[in-house]
Amino acid sequence: MSAETVHTIIDDLGALLLFTMILIVAAGQIYRAIYAVAAQSLFIAVAGAVLATATGNVDLWVIAGITLIVKAMVLPWVLHHVVQRMNIRREVEPVIPVGATLALAVLIVVVSFQLSASLGSVRQAITGNALPVGIALTLTGVLAMATQKTALTQMVGLFASENGIFFTAMSVTQGMPLIIEIGVILDVILAALVMAIMVLRVRSTVDADIADLDRLRG
Amino acid sequence: MYDGRAVGVGPRWLPVALTARRSEVWPRPKRGNVGVDSGLSLIAACYGVGMLSSLLARWSGRLAIGVGHLAALAGAAAGLGVSLVILLGGPGRTLTQPLPILFPFARLSLSVDGLSAYFLLVISLVAVAAAIYGPAYLRAHSPEAGRARQAAQVFALNMFLGCMTFLCCAGDALTFLLCWEGMTLSSYVLVVSDDRDGENARAGLLYMVMAHGGTALLLVAFLALTERGGAFDFAALRAAADHLDSTTRTTLFFLALGGFATKAGVVPLHVWLPRAHPAAPSHVSALMSGVMLKVAIYGILRFAFDLLAPVDGPLPPSWGWTVLVVGTISAVLGVLYALQQHDLKRLLAFHSVENIGIILIGVGLAMILWRQDGVSGALATVALTAALLHTVNHAAFKGLLFLGAGSVLCRTHIRNIEELGGLARRMPWTAGLFLLGAVAISALPPLNGFVSEWLTFQALLGGGSRVHGPAGLVIVFSAAMLALTGGLAAACFAKAFGVTFLGRPRTAQAEHATEAPPSMIAGMVWLALLCVALGVAPGYAIRLLDAPTAMLLHGPAASAVVTARGPLVLSAALTPSGTDATAISMTMMAALLIALTAMAWILRHGLRRSPARAAPTWTCGMSPTTRFDYTATAFAKPLRLVFAALYHPRREVTRETAGTPYVVQRIHYAGEIVDLAETQIYHRVEREISALSRTIRARSTGRIYGYIGFVLGTLIVALLLIGVIYR
Repeated sequence: MSAETVHTIIDDLGALLLFTMILIVAAGQIYRAIYAVAAQSLFIAVAGAVLATATGNVDLWVIAGITLIVKAMVLPWVLHHVVQRMNIRREVEPVIPVGATLALAVLIVVVSFQLSASLGSVRQAITGNALPVGIALTLTGVLAMATQKTALTQMVGLFASENGIFFTAMSVTQGMPLIIEIGVILDVILAALVMAIMVLRVRSTVDADIADLDRLRG
Repeated sequence: MYDGRAVGVGPRWLPVALTARRSEVWPRPKRGNVGVDSGLSLIAACYGVGMLSSLLARWSGRLAIGVGHLAALAGAAAGLGVSLVILLGGPGRTLTQPLPILFPFARLSLSVDGLSAYFLLVISLVAVAAAIYGPAYLRAHSPEAGRARQAAQVFALNMFLGCMTFLCCAGDALTFLLCWEGMTLSSYVLVVSDDRDGENARAGLLYMVMAHGGTALLLVAFLALTERGGAFDFAALRAAADHLDSTTRTTLFFLALGGFATKAGVVPLHVWLPRAHPAAPSHVSALMSGVMLKVAIYGILRFAFDLLAPVDGPLPPSWGWTVLVVGTISAVLGVLYALQQHDLKRLLAFHSVENIGIILIGVGLAMILWRQDGVSGALATVALTAALLHTVNHAAFKGLLFLGAGSVLCRTHIRNIEELGGLARRMPWTAGLFLLGAVAISALPPLNGFVSEWLTFQALLGGGSRVHGPAGLVIVFSAAMLALTGGLAAACFAKAFGVTFLGRPRTAQAEHATEAPPSMIAGMVWLALLCVALGVAPGYAIRLLDAPTAMLLHGPAASAVVTARGPLVLSAALTPSGTDATAISMTMMAALLIALTAMAWILRHGLRRSPARAAPTWTCGMSPTTRFDYTATAFAKPLRLVFAALYHPRREVTRETAGTPYVVQRIHYAGEIVDLAETQIYHRVEREISALSRTIRARSTGRIYGYIGFVLGTLIVALLLIGVIYR
């Protein structure tokens, strides 16, 4: 693959990632957000595969594979399972109107590009757009967590934010050491497990949502 | 063998770890040096076996305790051997041994030089006594202990000893910090293991918090150096320190000093010490007070004279003066607070604060005088010799006293000396050995405490006459305070010994006490012999100090400035011309004391014509009761009045009368004193933090999305700031 092709593919994937992120932020139903984050993880895996062929870094293949299995399949399945167990359709309770959230997301993307311009081009980055897209993804993921009241949507936001960190690391450094990437993935899996158990347990024992825990403050 | 060059931290660490050959991962000892090299492995193996022996508790707790302490004894003996080989092996004898690669980013190594070997010696000497004493104590003191507790105690004791040993032998910052942390954690386990009451748990928590505060300071100091040096081994840290400007150097020194002073229990960082040390089993108290505090002294010496010292020229004056003043304050306040304690082990713990102060006086003076020209340089060696000698002396007599207190505790289960009394007849060995330790700690000749305090005096007086201006006065003032400390310590131990062992028993437990088991006596006898040997023949000990003093000060060795002709004469060479003016012979003094005592005895008993008659004490016609005894509170009362400004004593007397004020049926007295550091510093900080947290709690919403929003806002602001800065 020539360098230009790789540039184009990564830039296009970046656009797709941002688009899925908008879907997550604006999702009116929990299932849509889950499908969107699964799609996003799939794109990350594709980006990893593209970078692996471009740089010849074998580790990236491994990472792409793990991302595909864990993030695009297992974690969405866990989320799906939790939603079914809780037997709810619509577990999306925005803190502020979706329109305002979208406006904030746009603002974050603009700020990211602005910031990246002021930092100058990163020498090792595959394309000039990789860094700002990565930052925007990470921050928007946190935004998704901050604008939702319920635990499940916050989990989706966390995974999206994690995807952003992954994309940044992959495309800016041309592959971090394998052990670090695996560590990050393990982190996400553990977080997912803990949160899933918490959500289900809290619901089954005290019949309250995680969001109701704010009544516990001292 | 790799050449000792550590690998820098950075993205390149992974290939290094993966390509390291097997011989590098498991280094083999150098040929020709096998004896001592395998000595270090032997120490590690012994303590390792000791830790593993806790598994035996599954079948028999008694077996686990026995094997564990036996392994500790073997480890301590091996430590003694290694340290003596290094100390007597001539100047500059150093032993380095790389360790297996545990971390990809750093290579660990052990390096035993003169200073390390000396502290290894101190640790091993007390560890021998603790290992002999321990099993019988644990059996006698807590026979009802469960197997889990016994296993934990055996494991933690061996880990504690091993960590202290290898801390002093560490050749790089990472090994040092790992052992430091291991030492803290294992001693915490021992502190909370003894009794399952709330006080122990609180003491342990306070200890944990204070120790980790200190560790945090150390971590900053070490990481600042490793980051500059690009590696963890001490050679790289020294090289990095050479390029420091004076402000950074001093800042790093004070960070390290803060960290070590917390561990050493220097006033005002001592608050955990009188709580945590008495809470541990007594042989562990002996180790904590006698040895663990010394490890902090080792750290101060290592940082001041080795790692952070400028290439040439004296140390910055602020270092030595701070240490000297802090040491003086600790010495005086430590003994003053000890005087008012009625808990035997707590009293001893406060005396550790005092003795650490005395050691720091010597260390501080050495730092002030180091690399000054002429005689002052030699005086620095005298001061350091005094400090190091007091290190081993304190380890010996404080170990002995704690073991003695442990014997009393395991037979009576009482720590309050007001409830004891009359134990000298019931526990004659313990009483005699405790008395010996008390004489030694009170700096009375002919025992070891006198030797090192006398040397400290020599150094202080010599230094005071050579440092001009008000600074010289500070040194002389410090000497005066040292004298006061010695006198107060004697008063304190007159009280502690008299009230505990003399008079008549005041409780049933004290009345029915019996002598401690022989193995506990044996542990105490070992330390008592050390006290006598170090006191009567200090010349040999001075020879052991040659290696550490010469290595640290790059100047004259201890035996060159402290004339110690064999066992006989000891003097400090203050002037180039003559030394005899201040010479003192400990052996002669001991002989003289024995001769005088014998003469007095003969005069009293041998020459008397009429036979002695036994008659009851006249007590104004009343039958004598135990309430006639002098109590500890009463004994300490005059000093409580003199130093009322420091103590803020509070007393509460309630009378029960039978209708009329002239017939008093019962008087209840309660009194307590406050620790100034505790009330003035810690309680104040505690109040501030509580107020602050209440304010924050009132403001917090408890909504998770709100907190995440804060995180997001902070992130964006931080990123924008970075953008502005890099623009």
